[in-house]
Amino acid sequence: MSEAPRSGPHQVLLALYALFALAAGARSLVQLTTRYDEAPVAYWLSLAAAATYALGWWAIRQASSGHTGFASVMLWIELAGVLTVGTVSLLVPDWFPDASVWSDYGIGYGFVPAALPVAGLVWLRRQRRSPA
Amino acid sequence: MPSVSTQITWIVVGYAALVVVLAVMVAVRRGERPAWLDQMAWMLELLLVVRALVGLSAFRGDGPDSVSTYVGYLLASVCVLPIAIRSVEGDRAPWSSAVLAVAALAVGVIAVRLEMTG
Repeated sequence: MSEAPRSGPHQVLLALYALFALAAGARSLVQLTTRYDEAPVAYWLSLAAAATYALGWWAIRQASSGHTGFASVMLWIELAGVLTVGTVSLLVPDWFPDASVWSDYGIGYGFVPAALPVAGLVWLRRQRRSPA
Repeated sequence: MPSVSTQITWIVVGYAALVVVLAVMVAVRRGERPAWLDQMAWMLELLLVVRALVGLSAFRGDGPDSVSTYVGYLLASVCVLPIAIRSVEGDRAPWSSAVLAVAALAVGVIAVRLEMTG
């Protein structure tokens, strides 16, 4: 990180987003390259989740210095993604022979994937009220 | 008697849990991040390095089920904490302790996953 960021809860969000971008990215790449045929839909969705976390990390970083525009779009996209994939994985389990990051609303990660965008949006609301 | 690597994993997990609890306590009290918390985090890193070195023995014989997964966890287990500590360098505000709590929790989980895939 080049500039010293202002201290605040966004530091924890950034740490979590970085971790999840890494975890989901590594997981999906390993699965896509070593056993693609087992559950291609689930693995591609995991890669999409990884991309969402990477973009979310950047969005929160921007928002922490007052540019909340991208984050207010990105975090809703992420929430929609978790809810959609989570719901579909429960309704149509056949599409998910193997789990994806957002399967069952992120049960494999202690539901942190479902909590992250909500926490991000709550933080963003406060951030907009008192811009940096 | 569990293997040496398994025993070290439990030490790592127990110590990581301790670091998480203390870091959360410091953060909740809204105090400055104390130097001892950093020292405990580095101590945890040392344990993780020991676990990773012992973990290299998994490559003897047949090796782990999924080599790429195992190597991923092995690398992540030693990289996460230094990156987290560096990211809060020179920032001793309460939220910096929470960042260390997240990192310590993450390496605890990674250590368990390493054990499961090894």
